[in-house]
Amino acid sequence: MCSIGEDDFGDDGAAHAMAVESLPLGIVLSPGNCSKCDVNSDELYKLNFRTAECRECFLAYARHKFRAALGAAKILPRNAEVLLVLDGSAESLVLLDMLHFAQTQNTFKRLHCNARVVYVEEQQVQGRDPVHLEALQNLSTQYAPFDFYVIELGALPSSMQRIKDYSPSLNANNELIHKLQKLRSLTARQDYLQQQRKNLICSVAQCLRCTHVFESNISVDLATQLLTAIALGRGGSAALDVALLDDRLSGDVKLLRPLKDLNEQEIQFYIHAQRLKPLFQKGSRYGREHGQTASLQNLTSAFVANLQQNYASTVSTVFRTGDKIAANSNPEQSSCVHCRSTLDTELSDTLLAIEYSRSVSEAGVSLYKSGQDLEDLAKKRLENKDGLCHACRAIQAELDSGNLL
Amino acid sequence: MPIICKSQCGNRAALKRPKTGDALCKECFFAAFEAEIHHTISSSNLFRRGEKVAVAASGGKDSTVLAHVLKLLNERHNYGLELVLLSIDEGITGYRDDSLETVKQNRDDYQMPLKILSYEELYGWTMDRILPRSDALDRGAKLLGVDSIATGHNADDIAETVLMNVLRGDTARLRRCTSIRTGGGEDTIPRVKPLKYSYEKEIVMYAHYKKLVYFSTECVFAPNAYRGHARAFLKDLEKVRPSVIMDIIYSGEQLRFKDTVKKPERGTCTRCGFVSSQQPCKACVLLEGLNRGLPKLGIGKKSKGERMIAKQNQELALRERANLVKNDF
Repeated sequence: MCSIGEDDFGDDGAAHAMAVESLPLGIVLSPGNCSKCDVNSDELYKLNFRTAECRECFLAYARHKFRAALGAAKILPRNAEVLLVLDGSAESLVLLDMLHFAQTQNTFKRLHCNARVVYVEEQQVQGRDPVHLEALQNLSTQYAPFDFYVIELGALPSSMQRIKDYSPSLNANNELIHKLQKLRSLTARQDYLQQQRKNLICSVAQCLRCTHVFESNISVDLATQLLTAIALGRGGSAALDVALLDDRLSGDVKLLRPLKDLNEQEIQFYIHAQRLKPLFQKGSRYGREHGQTASLQNLTSAFVANLQQNYASTVSTVFRTGDKIAANSNPEQSSCVHCRSTLDTELSDTLLAIEYSRSVSEAGVSLYKSGQDLEDLAKKRLENKDGLCHACRAIQAELDSGNLL
Repeated sequence: MPIICKSQCGNRAALKRPKTGDALCKECFFAAFEAEIHHTISSSNLFRRGEKVAVAASGGKDSTVLAHVLKLLNERHNYGLELVLLSIDEGITGYRDDSLETVKQNRDDYQMPLKILSYEELYGWTMDRILPRSDALDRGAKLLGVDSIATGHNADDIAETVLMNVLRGDTARLRRCTSIRTGGGEDTIPRVKPLKYSYEKEIVMYAHYKKLVYFSTECVFAPNAYRGHARAFLKDLEKVRPSVIMDIIYSGEQLRFKDTVKKPERGTCTRCGFVSSQQPCKACVLLEGLNRGLPKLGIGKKSKGERMIAKQNQELALRERANLVKNDF
């Protein structure tokens, strides 16, 4: 229906503020003076909404975002055991570099924690070329004294190896791959894989006795994740998907996202400034090769990227919305056995409406004759004690045989 | 081989329901569609016996189906409601004239009284979409003395609004956009959405198979830039997974806000006394703009508007002084 001009939905609310802008490509300009420290420099870094600055000033600025995210929330106890998850992307290398730098500073400024790095090898699941082992080993020497480990996605946590002992396993007999093949839609596969990856990282953290895990999601990832979570029906737990701290992992492991305030441009600049070499290009995630319209996740990420090009504030606005929401938490409610979010299926009118639709569709014209209480039937279905949340039920429904777990 | 209706009534299926994916015959679809709306109305206690309910009628498919189904359910389940059609004539040339004809047709078809309120009656101005229609609905409903207004917002509209408010970071609207009943405070008329769980596609199918008369030209002012993005995105999502619409509504309902997030205060406009979150309300600002000859007032930034008023006042003062000077001599 045409809903123009309803103040309930306030159509023209922000339209005027959304002037179409184009992102300047300008990464590094010719020699000039840094507007911050006034030192002449060969390379100047001009970020959106900032004046041009020299390499040192830029690095200090970017690193401060990382430290501020951790420091302001007072979330990392002194001398915590930290596991950094490396996936080979530019973001994860930036995180590694920043963490390494934070540890080499003098005592006063040093980030006091003990870090280990785990590289998650996804090549079997993704069907792409194996990682360049030499490049990975170079990283481990460059970033000594961090211990580097490798784990293959889908393998048992016990199969984790130190980098120097690691050689790719050749048998493709991976249970995760079998499960993924059973799921009918790419949407469900990507959703399932994301959860399994998280579980694996959590197990690895427990094996290495780490209490905190660092993931390298940046603002655009989190904006996409928020919209994806909403589209998947995970609104109740979406806040944890995008927050600095996600405590849904088992065994009291806490997932942190210290790069959440960085944007793509800052990552690019940082990579350039520090001459880092990403092992994989962005967008090489699972299922991306099937195109935009293959899954809700692909579609959402394309949508955000597209909107960001025309409206430069899209990502930050969505991301800030994510900052304002809180997760459903009710200590009396049990959590989903799969994704460990708080269960809320029983209380929802909307879910009852979906089940009721199914019941009346089955009854058809005879729905008044049968005398059966269809609402009761719908309620019974909704109260199914499988311990899954609404979104995980959608994955389970696609699994023709076998259990999700 | 023809597909048989899922309900095992023996008929051939005529359509596949987007909402559940079930193949149904025409009759079973009608029964299911109507039963769902009845379920929504009864489980959320949208109406009470003896109430006078205004059906916001635009002549479009949603309001036509809403009027049809409400009349039918009112008789079938004996709600005991007095239904009236309420239509607002904004005076958009070409669009409103035709759609009002459709509304009149609805009045004759469903034997419901119809009240068409024009902007001229309400505000003393005829204008093409300058004031929000919902504001006009509120004022119109007050004139008619109804207990609640039923609007034709369907599941797609609500899901789209959830997405749009996330994209805009509008937490205030995000809080209330999924609720089935809005308003209903001391001096506001509650608005209810009986079609909240009905898919747009199913509404179109229902109207089509029931051969209902509706006006199907898109409003000339649609689509608005930002809502347009959300709408296109939702349609794409729906193609991938049709259940996404209900999932988004569910997500929207489940969103909770941190205590630190400011809640909007619901007040009344000091000038006209109607409910508004702004001071003075948008309608008053826009009307003032028209009366002052500054039509851009209230469109765009508030500070800009204030500057325009200040400038005009200054000019007026200057002119007055000039007049004084002239008179002195």
